[in-house]
Amino acid sequence: MKALKYLLASTLVAVIYIAGPGQSPALAVDAIPPGGSHDGVDVPQPIEFPHDIHVEVNKINCMYCHTYARRSKVAGIPPTSKCMGCHKIIATDKPRIQKLTEYWTKGESPKWKKVHDLPDFVHFTHERHIKRFVFDQDFPVEDVKEVCAFCHGQVKNMTVAHKVKPLNMGWCVSCHEANGGPGDCWKCHK
Amino acid sequence: MNGPVKRRDFLKMMGVSGVGGTLAGCDLPSTVTLEEGKEDVVSYFMPEEYVIPGVGVWFASTCLQCDAGCGIHGRVREGRFLKVEGNPDSPINKGKTCQMGQAGVQSHYNPDRITQPMMREGGKLIAVSWEQANSALKQKLSNAGKKIGWFTGTISGHQSALITNYLDAVDASTESHFTHDVVNAAVWQAVNKDMLGDSMPELHMDKAALILSFGADFLGTWVSPVHFAGKWGEFRSAEAGAGRGTLIQVESKMTLTGGNADLWVPAKSGSEGAIALGLVNYVIKNSPNAGNNISSEQQNLISSYSLEKVAQIAGTSQDYIKRIGDALIKRSPSLVLAGASVEGHEHGYDAVAAIMLLNIVLGNVGKTIQPSNATPFPQLQAKPGNTRDLIEFTNAAKSKKFDVVFFSGSNPVFTAPDSLGLKDALGNVGFKVAVSTFPDETTMQADLVLPLSSYAEDWGTHVPAYQEDRNIVAVQQPLMNNLYSDTKGLGDILLDLLKDKKPDEYGSYKDYYAYLQDAIKTLRGSSSIKEPEAGDLQFWNKTLKTGLIDVADQKNTFASTISTENVTIKLPEEKTDSAYPYQLAPVARLGLYDGRHANLPWLQESPDQISKVVWDSWAEMHPNTAKKIGVSHGDLIEVASENGSIKLKAYIIKGVHPDTIAIPLGQGHEEFGRYAKGLGVNPLKILTARTDSKTGELAMYATRVKVTALGKEDVFVRLGGNDTQVGRKFVRTIPVEVLKRTEGA
Repeated sequence: MKALKYLLASTLVAVIYIAGPGQSPALAVDAIPPGGSHDGVDVPQPIEFPHDIHVEVNKINCMYCHTYARRSKVAGIPPTSKCMGCHKIIATDKPRIQKLTEYWTKGESPKWKKVHDLPDFVHFTHERHIKRFVFDQDFPVEDVKEVCAFCHGQVKNMTVAHKVKPLNMGWCVSCHEANGGPGDCWKCHK
Repeated sequence: MNGPVKRRDFLKMMGVSGVGGTLAGCDLPSTVTLEEGKEDVVSYFMPEEYVIPGVGVWFASTCLQCDAGCGIHGRVREGRFLKVEGNPDSPINKGKTCQMGQAGVQSHYNPDRITQPMMREGGKLIAVSWEQANSALKQKLSNAGKKIGWFTGTISGHQSALITNYLDAVDASTESHFTHDVVNAAVWQAVNKDMLGDSMPELHMDKAALILSFGADFLGTWVSPVHFAGKWGEFRSAEAGAGRGTLIQVESKMTLTGGNADLWVPAKSGSEGAIALGLVNYVIKNSPNAGNNISSEQQNLISSYSLEKVAQIAGTSQDYIKRIGDALIKRSPSLVLAGASVEGHEHGYDAVAAIMLLNIVLGNVGKTIQPSNATPFPQLQAKPGNTRDLIEFTNAAKSKKFDVVFFSGSNPVFTAPDSLGLKDALGNVGFKVAVSTFPDETTMQADLVLPLSSYAEDWGTHVPAYQEDRNIVAVQQPLMNNLYSDTKGLGDILLDLLKDKKPDEYGSYKDYYAYLQDAIKTLRGSSSIKEPEAGDLQFWNKTLKTGLIDVADQKNTFASTISTENVTIKLPEEKTDSAYPYQLAPVARLGLYDGRHANLPWLQESPDQISKVVWDSWAEMHPNTAKKIGVSHGDLIEVASENGSIKLKAYIIKGVHPDTIAIPLGQGHEEFGRYAKGLGVNPLKILTARTDSKTGELAMYATRVKVTALGKEDVFVRLGGNDTQVGRKFVRTIPVEVLKRTEGA
């Protein structure tokens, strides 16, 4: 009886989703963004990096720092030298920047903790996804954060990153099905 | 999200799968995700511009898995060396690699690597610091005076030059540097030197219509296998000048090359010289074009070798020999080669000379055998490893000639036959220093162990002994930083020794990298470089990019009259011994090679090319021999010589002469890490230490053995089941005549 209730309820949800693909009407990108959500844990980082100040206040593009996203399977954490490119001058009185400068003078990079991770048997590439959802359809690169948000959520409103999407197989597959992505096992498991 | 699924989560998940329009209760996405915040992710501090995380960068270097000197490209990602491919620029391997080259990664990341210096205290090797190691070494060296020696494998380039300079600096003679390798072509080189005036002539397989190979496994282990595999492709191509080439292999045990032959002829090892003379006799009689520069003395010798006599000596059919003779006359130019099974006898030199005589008579010299390039840098030239040095070293050690000996790149305790007495002789060496990457048998005998960097962490230059077409110096550069901070490169260790002796000359070099940069600057200035570029820095950068230095061609010349008169050929009657009725063939194979790769699981796991056995030792014998002895496939047997015995499994195969018991090299390690230790047996141990009478090389195929059946063995791991098609015609064939009749071909 209980199971039946779940089934009914889920069918209802499914119908709603099918009826309203593309929840974000403002988005010009030709894609059906993945749904789903995940209640990620708070991950303390060596420096509480404020994504909101960089993205929302200063309007810095995601790919200015995560510059490898369009070139490689990983988006990459920016090299410490890139941080210091600005922060030799900007906001040097702030405690977080002073901590960064300490790392810099020691010649070390901060040991960040991974928030978005996939198992080693999954081959995921940022490069291909950015190509599909940004470059292939001339989506304005300045708005790339809307595409990043498919999987990473609204990082522009976060300080340190917080996992808000499940990033599991069913979730990946559902998006691949909705957007005509490859369905072969070996595409990801190779 | 581990643990029981909450109702809310369940709904969410159903929602997700609903996006695609599918819905099924049994198709739930997994709720297992990786935990957040567990793994570290550290960015680069200040990377080079070309570095992209997740994208590999390829660096050119040189493979050191054998001594052929193949150029490689190593894939490096996030500072880690991950994959080997061939360097297409290299004239040695032209972009190809073999399985041993591929397994280089496993040598580098091997869990059994030596990570810190060790010193013998109370009979045991104890970990010490570099300071302790150096001060002990310094004291021993200063007490030793000039009684210092170096024992290495094949070595060339600046590392070799530094060893020479070091021995010079301590007033030891250059003869105190011994180079030892079991897999070698030392006798072949000696014969070429005497008969042609060029020890390593170029062998143009691509120009040959026929190759007759006496036990030369050129696709597996002989001289430069990857290079010859490329040439083999050209030789076999129908578009080649002479059309598709034919290979005839004469040997006592089928090698990888033998397995590829059009005609494989089983012959007793040691009879090849007689076969060659029989063929010379047959060719002279039946071909109007055969060379006639043969002395009357030799003519007498040759005419006594009739096909009938030869077939009887070789223990093979006369028809085979005649077919070979006819093929040699019909298909010209040809190329006749001699491998380890020819060299490994007391008359090995004479047998190889007889084979070279066949080449001369057939007119191959100058066509398929051409002068090689001389390197303009003789101090960098390869010192090829051999077995004569092993014997000489043993004798020198016995007579207490050395107080300190350095061992590097060779494992004589594993490769020396017990009958040679090396292990005892080593007791007479006051202080043995092993400069080593792995705890092999020799290293474990040492008094001091210096941890050597892997080949993917070290600098070096190498001059391959066999070169064709182009003349190069191959450059080795690190593909990544040291995995273990305490290991050091060979060049750095040598440089430290030299700094101590000649501070004026070497004191200014911070490390071997600095030395090599300067040395390559000197090479550039020598006018023997093909494209010296605009400046030293440009040249250095190009060298690192291409992984090699192109040296100007400078062809050797063959002796003005190629004649056979400077060698006398004497082939003794075969010694038979009813107590030891069989010949032992200790064969090297592509993979474990001489045993140096037994600690690489990939190579243990790759089946032997002929028997398909993995992770084990076995003795190959002919079905008739097996019947005589009373053993069947997989039975345990004991193979005994005058000098000891080994127990292993019998492998029954037709690809071996009935008088031969063939045992592959490589297994039987008593040390050498977790993957090698305690597997199989080492046939080298039971060899009788006879030598070739002219070169002093160990006669490796001259040992006679007897075989005793010991009963059933339960496990024999090999790939594949049958060597025949069991009458099922998996591969359909029809006779040529039928094809001609039906297809009109």
